[in-house]
Amino acid sequence: MKRIVSALCGLILAGPALAADWKMDPAGSKLEFVATFEKNPVPGVFKEFDTRLRFDPDRPAGGRLDVTIKVTSADMGVPDVDKEIRNKDWFDYAGFPQAQFRSTDLRRDGKRYVARGTLTLKGVKQPVEVPFTWTASGGGAAMEGEFTLKRTDFGIGLGEWKATDTIGADVKVKFKVRLRKG
Amino acid sequence: MLRNDIDSWGAPAKLFHWLMAALIFAQIALGLSAVSWRVSPTKLDLFVWHKSIGMLILALLALRLLWRLSNRAPELPAEMAAWERMGAHASHFLLYALMIALPLTGWVISSASNVPFKIFWTIPLPAITAPDKAVSDLFATIHGWLVTLLALVLVAHIGAALRHHYVKRDTVLSRMLPWGTS
Repeated sequence: MKRIVSALCGLILAGPALAADWKMDPAGSKLEFVATFEKNPVPGVFKEFDTRLRFDPDRPAGGRLDVTIKVTSADMGVPDVDKEIRNKDWFDYAGFPQAQFRSTDLRRDGKRYVARGTLTLKGVKQPVEVPFTWTASGGGAAMEGEFTLKRTDFGIGLGEWKATDTIGADVKVKFKVRLRKG
Repeated sequence: MLRNDIDSWGAPAKLFHWLMAALIFAQIALGLSAVSWRVSPTKLDLFVWHKSIGMLILALLALRLLWRLSNRAPELPAEMAAWERMGAHASHFLLYALMIALPLTGWVISSASNVPFKIFWTIPLPAITAPDKAVSDLFATIHGWLVTLLALVLVAHIGAALRHHYVKRDTVLSRMLPWGTS
């Protein structure tokens, strides 16, 4: 009997009703990327993106993470570079103004969490693992993390830019997202 | 013979002269190619070479000036007219001034354009100005005028050296030749 009750409780607790819906506070959120140029780190930022999350830190399994990135809001702080990355060889603003991450699976991994899912960037879908930490504060929360992508997997840098000695293949993605229940 | 004396240049002075002459010609060719090359990995590499050699020239110039100031220069031929002496001093002063001004204005362009840079892909060069497109454009124009001035002074310098050798038949050119003596 005890077993059945606890199993029932488990089922109820695991139900979606307890996983809260979170909305992003754009002012406190940042999505950065760090490419390399002639062996120098070059940071950039996507000024516009949105995060939607259904998440219970105690039971991540039922959650879901959706991120929409306005690729055309990329800013690398160098006017000549910003002019270049809009072209077909790079982000191709005209063809692919948006990128998207949709999780298929959220789970705990030690002290942090991992969202596994699909990143659609420049029309290419690739499986990606996004690790993040979760810090609750007041009525809100912050998720923070970083991971590395290969730009070549997404066709970013075509033609002679495919070579990775001038512009490196690895691009680090860093994010800090402030969320409130909504 | 290491030190200069009243009528000859020592080996270090000759080495500085010819090494920097070679670097400066390479530097002008690299700079013109880098600016006119279409945007490509090659263009970026040309800029790294150009900036690296610029910094090398600046460092060599510091050593060269120390050597020049701690050493007398051989005397000009006694039969030179006052205007010729003035011309010689003015053009040498200009050459030294341009060997400082060109790397420094280049450094400002590099800093203001916010492009990170490592000398020969290894030593990071700190920025000397804040990122600012207007400053970068202004100094690019100044850099261009200075190199035009340098080209004119080099024509005068080489022309005068040849005139000393073939017209006035004095030792001014031959005593600077690597194998030459006075």
